[in-house]
Amino acid sequence: MRKVKGFLLVVLALLIAMPVFASGSGETKQAAGTPEDPVSIDLWFGAAITEAGMIPEDWVGYDIIRNELGIDLHLTMLPSNESDQDVRIQAAGAANELPDIFMVRRPVLVNLVEQGLVAQVDDCFAKMPVRTALIYDENAIAHATVEGNVYGFASPGAIVRNEGLLVRKDWLDKLGLSVPTTLDEFMEVARAFTFEDPDGNGRDDTYGYGAFVETDATLKGYPGSRLWPIMGAFGVEGLWSFDSETAGLSIYKPEFYDFMVTLKGMCDEGIIDPNWLSYKKDDFRAAWKQGRFGIMYEQNAAYAATANYAPFDANFPDGEWIVIDAIEGPDGKASIGAYDMNYRIYAVSQKAADEGKLDKICELLEWMSSDEGYYLLGWGQEGVNYVFDEDGIPVAGDLGDNAFTGSKGQVVTQLRNMVFYNGDVELASRYPTYVTEVSGKTMSALTTLREMQAKKWTNAIGSGTMPTPNADVQRYYDQSLAEFLTGAKELTQENWQAFIDQFNAIGGAAWNEEGIAKMQADGLIR
Amino acid sequence: MSTLKTKGKSKDLVLQRPLKSKLRREIVRHRSVYLLALLPLVYYIIFKYVPIWNAQIAFKDFKAIRGVVGSEWIGLENFRTFVNSFYFWSLLRNTVMYSVGKLIISLPLSIVLAICIYECTKPGLRKVVQTLAYLPHFLSWVIMYGILLSLLAPGDGVVNDIIKLLGGKPIDFLSNVKAFPWVVLFSDAWKEMGWSAIIFIAALMGIDVSLFEAAMVEGANSWQRVRYITFPAIMPVIVTVVILKLGTILDAGFNQIFMLYSPQVYSVADIIDTWVYRQGLLEFEFGLATAVGLFKGVFGMILVLFANWLSKKLTENSLF
Amino acid sequence: MAANGKHLKHKTVRLTKADHVFNVVVDIFMIFILVIIIIPVWSTITLSFRPNDYLGSNLEGMFLPPWEWSPDAYTALLGNDGFLDAFLNSFKILIGGVATALILTIPMAYVLSVQSLPGRKIINLIVIIPYVFNVGMIPTYLLVRDVGLMNHLAAVFVPGAISTYNCIIMRQFFIGIPNELKESARIDGCSELQVLFRIILPLSKAIVMTIGLYYGVSFWNDFFNAMLYLNDNQPLPILLRNILLASGMNEYVEVNAFGNAPVSAIKAASVFMSAIPMVIAYPFIQKYFTKGTLLGSVKG
Repeated sequence: MRKVKGFLLVVLALLIAMPVFASGSGETKQAAGTPEDPVSIDLWFGAAITEAGMIPEDWVGYDIIRNELGIDLHLTMLPSNESDQDVRIQAAGAANELPDIFMVRRPVLVNLVEQGLVAQVDDCFAKMPVRTALIYDENAIAHATVEGNVYGFASPGAIVRNEGLLVRKDWLDKLGLSVPTTLDEFMEVARAFTFEDPDGNGRDDTYGYGAFVETDATLKGYPGSRLWPIMGAFGVEGLWSFDSETAGLSIYKPEFYDFMVTLKGMCDEGIIDPNWLSYKKDDFRAAWKQGRFGIMYEQNAAYAATANYAPFDANFPDGEWIVIDAIEGPDGKASIGAYDMNYRIYAVSQKAADEGKLDKICELLEWMSSDEGYYLLGWGQEGVNYVFDEDGIPVAGDLGDNAFTGSKGQVVTQLRNMVFYNGDVELASRYPTYVTEVSGKTMSALTTLREMQAKKWTNAIGSGTMPTPNADVQRYYDQSLAEFLTGAKELTQENWQAFIDQFNAIGGAAWNEEGIAKMQADGLIR
Repeated sequence: MSTLKTKGKSKDLVLQRPLKSKLRREIVRHRSVYLLALLPLVYYIIFKYVPIWNAQIAFKDFKAIRGVVGSEWIGLENFRTFVNSFYFWSLLRNTVMYSVGKLIISLPLSIVLAICIYECTKPGLRKVVQTLAYLPHFLSWVIMYGILLSLLAPGDGVVNDIIKLLGGKPIDFLSNVKAFPWVVLFSDAWKEMGWSAIIFIAALMGIDVSLFEAAMVEGANSWQRVRYITFPAIMPVIVTVVILKLGTILDAGFNQIFMLYSPQVYSVADIIDTWVYRQGLLEFEFGLATAVGLFKGVFGMILVLFANWLSKKLTENSLF
Repeated sequence: MAANGKHLKHKTVRLTKADHVFNVVVDIFMIFILVIIIIPVWSTITLSFRPNDYLGSNLEGMFLPPWEWSPDAYTALLGNDGFLDAFLNSFKILIGGVATALILTIPMAYVLSVQSLPGRKIINLIVIIPYVFNVGMIPTYLLVRDVGLMNHLAAVFVPGAISTYNCIIMRQFFIGIPNELKESARIDGCSELQVLFRIILPLSKAIVMTIGLYYGVSFWNDFFNAMLYLNDNQPLPILLRNILLASGMNEYVEVNAFGNAPVSAIKAASVFMSAIPMVIAYPFIQKYFTKGTLLGSVKG
């Protein structure tokens, strides 16, 4: 019986403890915004290095922000995965529990605006002159504009045109081939790389082109950006065409069919790595480091940054990739790919605006773009996390673990994406020139970047604001193209036309029209 | 509640009185049981039934600002959106295919594994298998995808290397509509078999060993023993598991499919949950997402009631 | 361990041919299972110990001799600033979750197992309906907000503190306990509570431990609730998922977040972190997996 009583006691204690457990959240006192009585601001941010962990509680930034701005900052790191982020933010939105300021992708922002959950910030830019001059240009403001009103602060994300078409120079030399410039030459090289044993290991284990499916809903339509150089030869790179003659979805261009025939041909011939449909990003990146293929489309740092190039360098000390020009297609078209500006939007919840926090948030953002805020959020504390070199570039020096690149120091830079604008200081600091360990090459992801940016690209600025289709239309689009490529559907003119017709019928046509209307409204047609 | 029930059942007024007093006696006798049920039932009402009440957003045009109660009623609009969606039948077919397939493949395998662990006469082997079998459960699907790719990739997968050695043509298992469903079903069995076997092993431990002695005296061999003693002994647990799984028949394993699928196999891979994720959760269509949840529930409830009735008839085991 | 290694029958009765065939079939199946389970597990283990300068393929990597293994991935993971905090949070969730879950599930399962209880069918229905009607993310999210559990570790386990599946499985085991035992206790004047504590629970250690384990593992590895409800105090699965799905890892960092260890090794190592409670608890639980637990109690 004692046992029974004990059990009941535990249960009772639990019942009583529940509300106690539950309490401790939610304070609604109106604060003055002074260091003594700071305004509490909740910020959900996209961390620079999510997997490295949270900014420590004793970070100096908290005190500085409290003392100088009268803000009590509460930070929450958003998950690194985009879909997770979207779910998390929309769930909070559904419960009207959005934080004061949060990072959000545009499609989600549009949903939240429709729900009336996000505050208009049109008037804020005047309150942050320094930051606006530095970061919020016309394109940036357009990216956060929904139906004429600005609903967020869009700051630059990844650098534009930071990808390129790369070829194994050592393979070309070995087989006595020159750098391909036309589609025919490109195919010849791909064939030679596949069948003529370019690595000379006597095994049939190489392919011409390597890729994986990298798509999104506004810029990178199926089969994705990794095939852009080939699509560019047909003028069908980019999901949308902003050309005055062909404005609309690229899939409607007759050349898209020609591109599909070419790609299907490459699949059938086996000159594109057959794993490309199953690879995810990491698999693809492991594959070129193992010398599986000799032509690819890759991002500058993923290719040339120290840690990323090192395994390739070790595997193939004689190996060498070069960035080449866009391939010219049958009608003389050529493009590396389509580019749009990349932004991270920070939006303010309507709730926060109603509580009168908007001004404080502007103050916080403006401070971030001051010298103090910029270096503190970007690199940490001088002398602790970084030192300036002779050119005024923040470097790790010999600060060891505590440096902004070290395992202890890196967490203090988690907020850096809120202050970075891809300025020269950042790039020089991010992509230092170095000498590779095994082959002794001098490399720099920055040089590579400049090389890549100089190639021929297609302007698709504004893609990010284009309407997105519903899940069924999206699936039909992706699935049909994929089935043409695998052979599940035979690729003929009739079948292609049937696909286009069905696509139109289930909502593709409406999507296209909506897109064209958006282009016209925003003056995107060039 | 109980009185209500008796009222419905006892049509005979003469019988009602003794019945009622008997019932009252029964209730009084079980009062400590009701006391025991109190806390869990309060839990159920708060944490399971309040969400069900919130699920009225399935019938509403859910607006976050207005909240659950304040949003506008739109009747069955969300259900119509789902049922009339372009891929509805394909989603339904795939979902049923995978959940039934898993019931047919994974479940029997885990039962067989449990019985084998129980019957194995080599203590070393048994111990090793019992200790390791559950481990694949902990490999997340992200990791599993990597393993599957190194086994099945058309270019350099181990399986395809073997096929090529034997003179065959490599198969793109992960992007081929014929092969993909089998990859899903068997990778699930592979990963979860040992984990689900644990419950059956626990059930086997309850078997009265004296039954075996009696069987031995009767001259039964090992096969007969398994058939007439071991298997029937865990039958109630098997039936329970099957009925419960039928209740969630339209959950076909979101995490697995979401990790493994790709456009080229959408036609055999897209399931209700992946659709809801793309069209509902990512698009702020929470009314729609909830409506699909209820739709799945109706399906599951019918199956549970039917399976329960069937198993009551056939095996005398039932949930309720 | 089961039957202390040997079946009683083997001592008393000669094995027939059918018995031999049976044993061979069982052994073959067990070895088959062992092989197909060891392959992925082993490949993940070797992957997690792969040194940074390893150049071979994954397949060859499986046969890398242990003296060439490198613990870099584990030291990097354990040395991660957030790791210890995350681990502690997960541990709190684990302990709080399993305790709450068992305190709620055991009585519920027992109540459902009392066959003579008036109103049992109604309680049964109350339990089964929410199981079948899984209303999804938002209705539950709103509830968690309304009861004030937002950003509290308890939010991770409270919504799932009774898993109907586990509860009904447990009930099935309780029902399986011979009625004579319960009846004789009742005749001895035991109340239902006493029956639960004196008869049912001592005989159900294996299933209670198993269900506790199922709960523990699901709470320990819960990512979704933690992602939805927690702002700070994030537990291990969040950290691990950030590692597993880190997309920017290759592109923007001039150094690896984890120093020397290769990314693939970190990912593999992180998997084993999720199995920790299982690896620790399972051997204890196996102690209770003893054949014929009931037999002794009926006779004694």
